[in-house]
Amino acid sequence: MLEIKDLHVEVDGKKIINGLSLEVGAGEVHAIMGPNGSGKSTLAYVLAGREGYEVTKGSITFDGQDLLEMEPEERAAAGVFLAMQYPVEIPGVANMYFLRQAMNAVRKARGQPEIGAAEFMKKLREKARLMGVKDELLKRDLNFGFSGGEKKRNEILQMAMLEPRLCILDETDSGLDIDALRTVADGVNALRDPSRGMIVITHYQRLLDYIVPDRVHVLARGAIQRSGSKELALELEEGGYGALLGPEFAHESASAGAA
Amino acid sequence: MAVARRTIEPVPAFEAAFAQARERLPGAKLPALADWRQASFARFREQGIPTNRVEAWKYTNVARVVNVPMGLAPKVQVRLDDLAPYLAGGPKARRMIFVNGHVVPELCHIESLPAGLRITSLGKVLEAEPEKVTAILRATAEDDRSFTALNAAFAGSGAWIEVDDGVEVVEPLQLLFLTVGRPEPFMTHPRNVVRLGKGAKLRLIETHAGSGEGQSLTNLVTQIELGPDSALEQDRVELLNDGASHIGKAYVRLADRARLVQTVATLGGGLVRNETEARLDGSNIECLLNGLYLACGKEHVDNLIRVHHEKPASHSDQFYKGVIADRAHAAFAGKIIVHKDAQKTNGYQKNDNLLLSDDAEIDTKPELEIYADDVKCSHGATSGNLDPVALFYLRSRGLERETAESLLTFAFAAEVIERFSDETVRRQVRRVALSRLPGGAALGDLA
Repeated sequence: MLEIKDLHVEVDGKKIINGLSLEVGAGEVHAIMGPNGSGKSTLAYVLAGREGYEVTKGSITFDGQDLLEMEPEERAAAGVFLAMQYPVEIPGVANMYFLRQAMNAVRKARGQPEIGAAEFMKKLREKARLMGVKDELLKRDLNFGFSGGEKKRNEILQMAMLEPRLCILDETDSGLDIDALRTVADGVNALRDPSRGMIVITHYQRLLDYIVPDRVHVLARGAIQRSGSKELALELEEGGYGALLGPEFAHESASAGAA
Repeated sequence: MAVARRTIEPVPAFEAAFAQARERLPGAKLPALADWRQASFARFREQGIPTNRVEAWKYTNVARVVNVPMGLAPKVQVRLDDLAPYLAGGPKARRMIFVNGHVVPELCHIESLPAGLRITSLGKVLEAEPEKVTAILRATAEDDRSFTALNAAFAGSGAWIEVDDGVEVVEPLQLLFLTVGRPEPFMTHPRNVVRLGKGAKLRLIETHAGSGEGQSLTNLVTQIELGPDSALEQDRVELLNDGASHIGKAYVRLADRARLVQTVATLGGGLVRNETEARLDGSNIECLLNGLYLACGKEHVDNLIRVHHEKPASHSDQFYKGVIADRAHAAFAGKIIVHKDAQKTNGYQKNDNLLLSDDAEIDTKPELEIYADDVKCSHGATSGNLDPVALFYLRSRGLERETAESLLTFAFAAEVIERFSDETVRRQVRRVALSRLPGGAALGDLA
């Protein structure tokens, strides 16, 4: 469903992604691991359509459509969802109101009727319970003053409500304690579906104990250096990037700045 | 070297208009009134119309407003249905309705008032008690401001509200001023006087609305006197058309422990200038001034606030937010003046602006002038654009760009809207604010 071919991306004139190719089929979960600055978050943002990321070469197609030609909202309507590493705090916009707006915007773009208030509430309560998101949090302003864990749960709640076809999780595990990690992983696993693809971006193998991937890719210096089964993550965890990719990658983890 | 001219000549048309009006204004035959109006007009003539060289008028050029001959408007017929969109305060609200400067008694609802509450038209009290009333109106003559003098010269329109000691008025009172456009330019000079006795309470809703095409000027003066321990909640909404100019000044005086919460929304008008001068003439006063302006097209909105802390231990807070779109221009100048004796003053001021286009302009000037040494004061102003990261976040969840922009803009404005004391006003302001945003239609249920 997703096909990335020889992707090159620059941010402020700096090359971040250099010839990345990746295919994700329906029903598959792909993990992308990599050190800081390897281009993981850049890949996530390019897929979601954030401004400021210039694709200088290559292509991304999603269900046969040219994803790069689409506005962020068109991608959302087509079924792309990015659970962000740093969900944005938006004071003045109630969480629940926003969720309903988003759902109806996506439904409208997909030619579906708006969801009724009662049906929406029923669905929201069900998904919120699953994600351990309290009623109080639904009534508050979007992500405003939420703890790190609350923000991540709220992202996955949005994902569950919007029912995307391609889920991209950008370091969803960062800042989570083990209980929160389990809840979030359960929520993600509940969305695993033969019609749905997932890209799980993470620093640590730990998340992959809970969300077990079909494929693991190691991203470094803007390209996928190795791909393999879930065991690759364990191998990486034990030996580090140097052992896995060669001595020239040994110090990648120490390189500063997330890109 | 040429001397900087402080004023432009008031157009001769004002002379003609005054000559005509003074014969017809309420109480025209009463010498005390006629003399006072004549003296006021002389003062106006002397002061002239301010130019941009006067600091307080730096960003608002009134020349284009006054350089057309304007007379007073004749009475027009309106039906209650025409007013329906502007009614606020709920079914129990008392109401005075003015159309093009004339009170419309058959549409007012001010009968069977409880003891200790007086609501009537200024014209009536001027005729009934000219000496007493002009003595009160004269308080504004100390101000070297030509529009105030002009208002006095034409005094006759407006509301007279008195709440006696200890009287707490439960139902809100709405003053609705409707400007119905006419082929010929016209002006109105309403003056509202609100006097609360010791411990009195009132909720006041003031609505200035416009319908139809045509040029008009509303030159409003408001006098508010709050006795000790009294409380006034004042919601004010301005919904004017492009041809309408609105120049207003409120003179507010507060005594010990009085409380004023004033919230203003400017949601339309070719040129709107609102001035508030509050004198905190006592201790433990609370004076909260909130404002929202949402200017589009080529609208011009200018707010000028002066808060004088004259005695110790009072609290004032100015909180103004602006959204400026298209080619609109807004100005904000707020000042806290802490007089020598006003120790233990708390004075705050904040003005935040959101610019929605490259051609939109904001001139903001927060100021403090402090002569006491033991005070807590702060001021700040910001201006910026919508946060691109927040926009991306909303769009990535499926919201169209326009909807996302409008949602963020509305959220910015909502912080002020929530401060209106009356729920019907909050709803009205939300509805109108959304209607002014390009993506507001998709957000209708926020109203």
